[in-house]
Amino acid sequence: MDNNGIKDNLRPPAAKKIKTDNFGITAILSDDYKKDITLMQVHSCEVESKQQLQAVIKELALKLPHFQHLKRVHERNVLICPSDDIKDTLEQHLQLHQISENVLKTLCRNVNVIEVPASSAKLRVQYEQMTKYWPCKFHPDKYAESLQNGSNFTVSQRAYHKRMAELLWKLSKDVNDGQNVGICVDPRRPSIVAIAAAGDGSSHQHCVMWLVDHVARSQRGGAWQTDQQFVKDEPHTKSTLSGLPQIFYDYLKQDAACQDLRLGAELPRREEQQPQPEPVEDIHADNLCKYGPYLCTGYDVYLLREPCLMCSMALVHSRVKRIFFLERSDNGALASKFQLHAVKELNHHYEVFQFTM
Amino acid sequence: MATFMEDALVEARRARDAGEVPVGCVFVHNDKVIARGGNEVNVHRNATRHAEFICIDATLAYCREKRLPARQVFSEISVVVTVEPCIMCSAALHTLAVKEIIYGCENDRFGGKTVIDVAAVVGQQINITGGVRADEAMSLLKDFYKGENPAAPPVAKKKK
Repeated sequence: MDNNGIKDNLRPPAAKKIKTDNFGITAILSDDYKKDITLMQVHSCEVESKQQLQAVIKELALKLPHFQHLKRVHERNVLICPSDDIKDTLEQHLQLHQISENVLKTLCRNVNVIEVPASSAKLRVQYEQMTKYWPCKFHPDKYAESLQNGSNFTVSQRAYHKRMAELLWKLSKDVNDGQNVGICVDPRRPSIVAIAAAGDGSSHQHCVMWLVDHVARSQRGGAWQTDQQFVKDEPHTKSTLSGLPQIFYDYLKQDAACQDLRLGAELPRREEQQPQPEPVEDIHADNLCKYGPYLCTGYDVYLLREPCLMCSMALVHSRVKRIFFLERSDNGALASKFQLHAVKELNHHYEVFQFTM
Repeated sequence: MATFMEDALVEARRARDAGEVPVGCVFVHNDKVIARGGNEVNVHRNATRHAEFICIDATLAYCREKRLPARQVFSEISVVVTVEPCIMCSAALHTLAVKEIIYGCENDRFGGKTVIDVAAVVGQQINITGGVRADEAMSLLKDFYKGENPAAPPVAKKKK
């Protein structure tokens, strides 16, 4: 190591540093964010003069309102309609849609079949690819871009995620015989709310299902009976450790590297009230702040292994904010076999990240 | 098997009376109900305590008590449930490879058949029959959601 800071600054940027830290966090985005774009065949025509364009565009916008994600005109070329829509001839198709005779004549003169992007661009990389085919409309989404390029986390957030990834490894190896481990974290402080470990074998009592039940314990609930001892809270504490099995708590307390890790969950706020059976849809971190703990609202879940479909849906029902996992599973439902978080019909969507080390 | 829907509806009403989402379920084995239950989400603060999971747990306890092989028992079970199992429950029932699922009304928000193809993801086919006394199951849900639902106030706020 060179102790001279100034000298350090004069060196080329710290490519070395990045190399030594292979830890990465990759967002698992839905297919809409895939770099490869899909194309579709369309009928277009090249009009003879720009003067004709205005009348043509006006009528097309009204009677054949296709291609919302594209510019309708490029120089003297106009997009008419997807080629698949045309049953017989272009002329008949235009007549069917009551295109006036003048415009119809113009459109049928210099017809080309070309390929254009089939859907709108979500990311700049897609946009850049798409414009090679045809001018597109594009509304940059800063957050989606940051997920794509990994700049969504601050340095300290990344450092915490990395610690959790390492902790998953350690707990699995040292305490749990290599079985799956899950950690639930309240990211506001951040603080560990619950830990669970279990095999994801033939029974339905997978690690995630236990984790969700341990979080329930931190809210004076929990359904499954177990021989495991849980940490008992001191009277009048402001946060609760009751989602933590004693065996993990003891491990964290004896491990010098874990001394500064915060443990415990905020207590449910109005205990006399039943939780809402159907909570309002809103930004979920805000709901955690506004209403206090309810299920896993606003919480992050770290898993050694990618969850199966049952567990992935359990985490939807539990309204988890983000899921981080280390290893893929053959029956994984977030990346390997399926992408549950990309199903738009669901009433809750979490973000999914995979650690790479 | 559809005659057991009455038992499932009884469980759904019991769940409603306890302030839970009114969904009920029974597991039928050799023409006998061996497990019954309704949703227990609120009482346990656990969003996964659906009627089907109550019955899965009860079946495992039943097998332990009677010293029966759980895997085989599940393969002989008819699941009778008032509402189409959600993706989570459907995935569990497919993984456990139950004999068949008979449900009342569809679950268009997160049904394991209506919204996604659980059988394809899990890689296990099960006979599924829907629409058994669907109207009764649906009206239980509708009455619940328009009634004393604690989620109602925020909705009312939006209207302002």
